[in-house]
Amino acid sequence: MVGLVEQLQTLQVVAAGVFAQVEHGALGTHGGHEAALNAGVNAAALGAVTGELPKWTLLIPFLPLLGCVLCGVCAILKVRNKLPAVITVACIAGAFAATVGAYMHTMHDGHAQTAVVKAWDWIRFVWGTEYKSPREFIANFSFYVDSLTCLWMLFVTGLATLIALYASEYMAGDVKTAGYARFYVAFCLFVFSMACLVMGDNLLLLYLGWEGVGLCSYLLIGYFYKKPSAVAAAKKAFIMNRIGDLGLSMGLMLTYVHFGTVEYAKLFPLIQTYLDLAQHGKIDEIPFIVQAIPVLFTIGAFGKSAQIPLYVWLPDAMEGPTPVSALIHAATMVTAGVYLVARFFPLYLCSEWALPIVAWGGALTALLAATIGMAQFDIKRIMAYSTVSQLGFMFAGIGVLGAVGGAAHVFTHAFFKAMLFLSCGAVMHGFAGQLDLRKLSGVAKIKGWKIVSLAMFVGCINLAGVPFITAGFWSKDMIIGDAFADHGMVAIGWILLGTAGLTAYYTFRVFFRVFMGPVQYEAGDEVHGDADHANHANHANHGHSDAHGAQEHGSAAHAAFHPHAPGLAINAVLLILAVAAFAVIPLVHDFSGGGGHSFWASSMVHGSTAGVEPPHAEHYKPFGMDAHRFAMIGSIIVGLVGIVVAFFLHYVGRTSSATSKADSIKLGAIQTAAQHKWYVDEAYHAIFVLPLRVLAHVFHAFDKMVVDGLVNLFGMVPRGLGHTARRTQTGVLHDYALRMAGGLAVVVLAIWFLHSGGWSGWGGPGLVEVGSVGGVRP
Amino acid sequence: MNVLLDGLTLAQGGFPEPMASATLYHYLMTSGMLFVIGLIGFVTRRNLIIMFLCTELMFQAAGIALIAFSRFHLNHTGESFVVFVLTIAAAEAALALALVVLLFRRKESLDAAEWAEMRG
Amino acid sequence: MNTLASSILLFVGSVVGAIGIAMALPRKGVSPQLLGALIAALGLGGIFLALGLRAPGDLPNINFYVFSLIALGSALRVISHPRPVYSALYFILTILASSGLYVLLSAEFMAFALIIVYAGAILITYLFVIMLATESPTADQVEALAEYDRYSREPIVATLTGFILLAALTTMMGVGTSKMAPATIPADAGLLSRLPRKIEKSLVEAKLIDGKTERLARAAAALGEPTNSGPYLIDLAGGTVTVAYGKDYAQRRIISTSNPLWPKDLKISNIEGVGFSLLADHPGGIEVAGVILLMAMLGAVVLARKKVELDEHAKLVAEQHALVDEQSIAALRATPKVGGVIGGLSVDNSGKASGSNGGQLPKSGVQIGGGR
Repeated sequence: MVGLVEQLQTLQVVAAGVFAQVEHGALGTHGGHEAALNAGVNAAALGAVTGELPKWTLLIPFLPLLGCVLCGVCAILKVRNKLPAVITVACIAGAFAATVGAYMHTMHDGHAQTAVVKAWDWIRFVWGTEYKSPREFIANFSFYVDSLTCLWMLFVTGLATLIALYASEYMAGDVKTAGYARFYVAFCLFVFSMACLVMGDNLLLLYLGWEGVGLCSYLLIGYFYKKPSAVAAAKKAFIMNRIGDLGLSMGLMLTYVHFGTVEYAKLFPLIQTYLDLAQHGKIDEIPFIVQAIPVLFTIGAFGKSAQIPLYVWLPDAMEGPTPVSALIHAATMVTAGVYLVARFFPLYLCSEWALPIVAWGGALTALLAATIGMAQFDIKRIMAYSTVSQLGFMFAGIGVLGAVGGAAHVFTHAFFKAMLFLSCGAVMHGFAGQLDLRKLSGVAKIKGWKIVSLAMFVGCINLAGVPFITAGFWSKDMIIGDAFADHGMVAIGWILLGTAGLTAYYTFRVFFRVFMGPVQYEAGDEVHGDADHANHANHANHGHSDAHGAQEHGSAAHAAFHPHAPGLAINAVLLILAVAAFAVIPLVHDFSGGGGHSFWASSMVHGSTAGVEPPHAEHYKPFGMDAHRFAMIGSIIVGLVGIVVAFFLHYVGRTSSATSKADSIKLGAIQTAAQHKWYVDEAYHAIFVLPLRVLAHVFHAFDKMVVDGLVNLFGMVPRGLGHTARRTQTGVLHDYALRMAGGLAVVVLAIWFLHSGGWSGWGGPGLVEVGSVGGVRP
Repeated sequence: MNVLLDGLTLAQGGFPEPMASATLYHYLMTSGMLFVIGLIGFVTRRNLIIMFLCTELMFQAAGIALIAFSRFHLNHTGESFVVFVLTIAAAEAALALALVVLLFRRKESLDAAEWAEMRG
Repeated sequence: MNTLASSILLFVGSVVGAIGIAMALPRKGVSPQLLGALIAALGLGGIFLALGLRAPGDLPNINFYVFSLIALGSALRVISHPRPVYSALYFILTILASSGLYVLLSAEFMAFALIIVYAGAILITYLFVIMLATESPTADQVEALAEYDRYSREPIVATLTGFILLAALTTMMGVGTSKMAPATIPADAGLLSRLPRKIEKSLVEAKLIDGKTERLARAAAALGEPTNSGPYLIDLAGGTVTVAYGKDYAQRRIISTSNPLWPKDLKISNIEGVGFSLLADHPGGIEVAGVILLMAMLGAVVLARKKVELDEHAKLVAEQHALVDEQSIAALRATPKVGGVIGGLSVDNSGKASGSNGGQLPKSGVQIGGGR
């Protein structure tokens, strides 16, 4: 109880301090006040358990696990209807309900509490010696729930429910195969792993979840396992994740080595001492290991969240079905890296290099991905690059000391990116796999595609950051503002501003090309056979409203192809998401006037370990203006410029799907390079894959010749000896007798030799003593 | 020459007069040479029966050695042992020859090299 | 000096003997058997000379050299003669020489036992088996000397091995015997007193005891035993023999061994000594020997009854032999004179075979107990 009261006091003090700052016009997430610092930090131990949660909150991770098991049973029993989808949606919806309940519990009394709910003892090693205090390694299957966890789990479980519903129709083509159940098994397993990751009470459970989501990502990207490109993409994703996991595991081990524990409840109070040093400007006194751990965590985060240099797997991961792309590679799994950095924000503050690495990595990735996205033609790929770019924004946000900005952007991005992907998926589903924006046009004008176009539009304006009316604008603006407010990060601010402009451009390029303009489409590679179209009665199986658009074929290459308008499930989900995209606006911005920080996302972050105050830094005023105001103006300008450019290049005067005014712009080599993703994949192939392959061949040869040779030698030596010895067995009596006689002679000689004194007694005969061989007692 | 003739007597001294050990050596040499001749014959000849005959030669040599030692030590143990040796030789000859006859029936040949079925 | 010369001569003689034996063994192509035998004899002579030089004062009887030469010579002929029958016959000669050596060593009983048992029984068995186990001739092999009899296996290696063994044995024997002291215990001291009847008989013949009225005295009988059943009062160690005479042989008189009429040849003979040794000292051995002989007899009976199938290859050869036999017999009947010996038999013009088989030409040389 005392802890709770103190936390309340903390928040009040912080809020008061911040409001005081507002009058001076200095806005920033870092308050930088000694009073606030002392009160806020010393009030309660960082990250310590302050409350309790009822046991039913264990349903959050375990309901999806149950769903996974039940879908597995369906797969074994060869269930060939939509039962796995029903189970999954039910389980994950139940998990969402439990999350809401947990959230209410966590935030009751108006301030966040931290609670640990234990499922069972998992790993427990205790050992000790006489002269050393006992060491222990405890990693329980327990869940650490604080406000950051609730923030994350709310959108994870919510989006998972919606996307599971979407997928029930999207994957309906596979109902008659074993693929449907397999999809949902991996889906539920993914949600369970994500829950372990986000809710885990110790680093080991986080790592378990980390690996679990990687595994499910592999399983789901490789869902079309008969397609070689999908299999290769799955392998690529998994392997690049593993490279990042090396960093995470080393960080985990170093954490244990230095701090002696991996549990958050015990770890964070230990970090407190270093945090104090850092916040008082004595960052040099922090030991090297403690400064290195966040850097290692960053490597892991960059691997999982697709930042430089480990981002190349994410565009290829679009080979998986679209719900997978939406859930895993847009909204949830890729945010795991951001979660890691946010959770361990206090530790990042203790390191001199970690946060700059995060910030610069994020910013450069954002810029790079945006440039690549501008030159691609596959709409899902463009969305993938935009995901990478936005993740860069999030990391940059945290890196410039704005955990709130990063977390808020994660939240909003999850909704609109999921929506964008789902719309693209609907397009792909309806146009038999066609994703090339040179081959699609005017989809919005086709009957039955209104809701999809609307959802796409909402998503695009969020992504582009249309001012004031979109949640994306507010969260992005927070990040850019934080960047400009920090003197050392101004360059990052400019990079992010430029990237925002590019983002707006390529987002609306997609929208104007695919959804606007003359109606023209080509079927993709997965076009159904003619029998399906000839038999209209089959439409009942597809479960969608009739959408022939026969009068709008125009010059479609497949004369008999009709686009397959989405059905109820897809439309319903897109609508819910579109509404939600607007509904979250108040959660990420404080509209109560005065530019305060008491909006929901902020309070959620502040109530957790991510909410530590960074050290005091001076506020930078670009062009003499307040940083946030400057950022807002700047992003408005660049956003509108981008949209206008896209409008002129891709909408005005476009007569066909394949051509636009943009084709007249030839940037030569840069354009080709951007189309080829700046040849990064090729570079990786040459630098890493080929030498490894050569090395593998070398080792293979070594193994075959040396190791196998040694083993064979062990076999051959007795064999050779045997062959030689075998020749003595002639089977002929005489030879044996001869050898016996020879042996007898040798034995006699030997005995004589020994008895005559051996080598030392070498001389003539007569050296044998009486009583030895040859001498007989009378 | 005188040295040689002095040693020539009609008998080897009457029993129980002792025999010189050098004289014993003579008999043992004869026995040894006979044994070795028998050994060479056993290893060299291919006829099964002749091989067994050579083993009998080796028995002979052993007998001479035993009798010589018996004379040297002036007791009759050696001679009784020769009785046993004779017994054994007889028994062995009987059985060995029976086996040789059976072997001959099988292959119509007395060549010991024919029976090389145990070659490795 | 003598020792050194003898050693050198010993080894040289051995080497020469080895060369001779190697040359004497039957082999392919040119086989200098006679020359080899002469060289071997030369080697043997050298060896004996060497032995003699070692201790010139202790030469054995001259008969030793004779018997040794015969024994070794015929042993060499045993191993080098191509025909099996001759080998057996030469072996008999070896046995005779051996028994001569036994006589020289004062083991007369063993000498004769050797001749009777070995030469008389074992070798005759060998000869019978040789007769039974000889191949009959085929058309291209009139000589009837089996290939395996003509050539020996690896004569040089065998000889070398043998002589290495001989060298080792020789050296050790030489070293050993040079350290031995001859026994001095008279072997028959106590035994003669266990043969009272022999003593009595001998004394009677020497006229020291009157055979009709006197006899050797016996000690008083134990209670309840007849009067003439005590131990004889013979004390040869003390040199006295008690004689009883008179009425009821109640009077005693003593004869001393130093009496000039004491018979000089009254000693244990070899047979008696061996008998005592066998029965008194090694009775178990006799039993065992008897059991072994029984086993041999049973084994021979069992083996002889065994029916043996012919080998495949041998069957073909046998059939070929059968064909050839009839052909050759017909051919022989046609041609006037045929020399050669077939399988130990001689075939004359009439086609009748004479020889140890008594007129019956065996079809394939073996016709015992279902061989075909």
